[in-house]
Amino acid sequence: MTRVIAVTGKGGTGKTAITTLLIRHLTKGNKVVLAVDADPDTNLPETLGCEVHRTIGDVKEFMHDERDNLPPDVNKESILQSKLYEVLEEMPGYDLLVMGRPEGAGCYCYVNNLLRGIMNKLVGNYDVLIIDAEAGLEHFSRKIFKQVDDLIVVTDGSRRGLGTAERIRELVGELETNVGHIYVIANKVTDSTRETITKTAAQLGLELIGMVPMDEMIVQKDLAGQPLMELSDDSPAVREVEKISRKLNL
Amino acid sequence: MADEFPFEISPMFEGERIRKDNMHVELAGPKSIGFELVRATDMKDVEDGKFTLIGPDLSEMAEGSRYPVAMIYKIAGELVETDLESIVERRNHEFQNYIQGFMHLNQRDDVWLRVSKDAIKKGLTSFEPVAKAIMMLFKNELPFIEKVEAVYITDQAEIEKEIDNARAVYKARDERTKGLHDEDVDTFYGCTLCASFAPTNVCVITPDRISLCGAINWFDGRAAAKVDPEGPQFAIEKGELLDASSGEYSGVNDLAKRLSSGEYDRIKLHSFFEYPHTSCGCFEVVGFYIPEVDGIGWVDRDFAGTAPNGLQFSTMAGQTGGGKQVVGFLGIGVNYFRSPKFISGDGGWDRVVWMPNMLKQKILDSIPEDVKDKIATDENINDIESLKNFLKEKEHPVIKRWVVEEEETIEEEEESQPSEAQYYQPMQYVPQQMPAGFMPSMAMMGGSGSGGVKIILKNAKVTVDKIIVKKIE
Repeated sequence: MTRVIAVTGKGGTGKTAITTLLIRHLTKGNKVVLAVDADPDTNLPETLGCEVHRTIGDVKEFMHDERDNLPPDVNKESILQSKLYEVLEEMPGYDLLVMGRPEGAGCYCYVNNLLRGIMNKLVGNYDVLIIDAEAGLEHFSRKIFKQVDDLIVVTDGSRRGLGTAERIRELVGELETNVGHIYVIANKVTDSTRETITKTAAQLGLELIGMVPMDEMIVQKDLAGQPLMELSDDSPAVREVEKISRKLNL
Repeated sequence: MADEFPFEISPMFEGERIRKDNMHVELAGPKSIGFELVRATDMKDVEDGKFTLIGPDLSEMAEGSRYPVAMIYKIAGELVETDLESIVERRNHEFQNYIQGFMHLNQRDDVWLRVSKDAIKKGLTSFEPVAKAIMMLFKNELPFIEKVEAVYITDQAEIEKEIDNARAVYKARDERTKGLHDEDVDTFYGCTLCASFAPTNVCVITPDRISLCGAINWFDGRAAAKVDPEGPQFAIEKGELLDASSGEYSGVNDLAKRLSSGEYDRIKLHSFFEYPHTSCGCFEVVGFYIPEVDGIGWVDRDFAGTAPNGLQFSTMAGQTGGGKQVVGFLGIGVNYFRSPKFISGDGGWDRVVWMPNMLKQKILDSIPEDVKDKIATDENINDIESLKNFLKEKEHPVIKRWVVEEEETIEEEEESQPSEAQYYQPMQYVPQQMPAGFMPSMAMMGGSGSGGVKIILKNAKVTVDKIIVKKIE
């Protein structure tokens, strides 16, 4: 069975960095990973160090625009599957899919329905599926992913950040997607915020699974535009994510 | 039986993805060329079970390499005919995916294959057992195949020589496919993808009628229903033909009752005015009746302007959508314009008077020559008055109806009967349309010389819920 992990949170909390470090951990442990960038605003490809040329959005657009030009009796599912495999970037230890641009005008019911079936089959090929998702969880409401084992909400230490985590928990309740556990990871934590975060999380009844410290090494990589996959093993953030991964049994 | 092959064969390996990390060789695909082709052949020209390879075999392919590939199967049998070629060909995709360590994607000259390192390790050194396994499955699963022979090519130059022939076969096949009509099949397909927001919608997909969203044709319906008969696309018996010109079938009427929970009990597939197809909200184009010219205009989702009736796509879509049967409006998929049965119940193309130019250009080849230039577009016609003049000037076939209608109106007036009220009904939501709509008959009343009263309404906004005309006792 493929373990499905979704990482979400408000923009700027560092959820993409956390996602990347989780992928780093998984691939080092020889797990075969499918990484999905489902946030139009994130840059998972950059933090992973993987160049992406086309997205699922492009494929859906192709299917939509070419609908009348495709030979009438060829199987559209097999065309869509092939196109999807074309945009799947293959890296050592992991594959990356980028959801990309939102749908244009017109009806995508059929394409999305095909996509659900194809994704379902594809996901079975991996040990872990990890999704970097925007806070609105749009792709979940579209049921592209039916089952999520662990939903990780990344938050900064602020009351507001933790409030978002609470809202996401409510949103999950409204989704038809089956979500196993919801965890919270506090990111960019400093000595002065540590205690307050623990307290606030407890008050809100959120399961805080780790506190990733503010990491100068990440800041430097980000400034230089270098991928976070290359972070050294003694980066404090890497060490904390290793700890979290063990807790999550990854 | 499978023991003779150096690999396992099972449907459970379908969907198996071979990643680059675990790939021994890639065949065809986006970075190379290739094709697959099944040809119906004379019995005497097929040597059953024979396999020929032109070009290097698997054992000669280095790890991580890429080669082109062509797979040609010659099939023969008393029942084998050209029409079965594509059905057999599609099974190549399915069967090759049954082979462990073998990945087959797409179809025709878009095929893309990979062979895994594990498969090579387990002793797969040649294409021969692959071809033999496929031939065995063909004969087991498709008993009409009595003899089958396979030719695989991995030589670039040889494939380049053959690929044009293959493409010509595909093209001829597509032409034949386009020649498939409602009367040629026993099964239509229903679709409920839109049911969540259009609960009474009844979407019927036939060879001559694509789904309203334009995404699902009859073949897509067939493919989906075969994989999951309980899924969103499912087969329906078309039943008895009740009316040929408007496309009324008993099976479709039964489906209408079932899917709309009794709201609708009749749907005529190719009718605009009488029991038209319901409209979900996903439709690509909406047709609207223009009573002033007794014609039909069409506006597509991409057209941001205003149609001659003063309305935009979004407004009409709002009025038409939701899974209702709305007389006077009809949602369709663009490809329905290409259907030979396009609103055949109501005059077909002879009834079409206006559409945005972009849309017209898109489907120009499908418009009959004799009306091609007579259909107005947004380029020069944007209001009813100029549309009327345009149609008159071009002698659009619809103007014949004007005469007929005028005569009818006289008769109707003499009998003191209401005019075709049901056709105007939807227009009552569009106040400015109403007086204009009645103009022709009113003019006739004045001109009939019976000493009646002539009423001209100008700039009037009238909303009427119901008009009851009774004979005075």
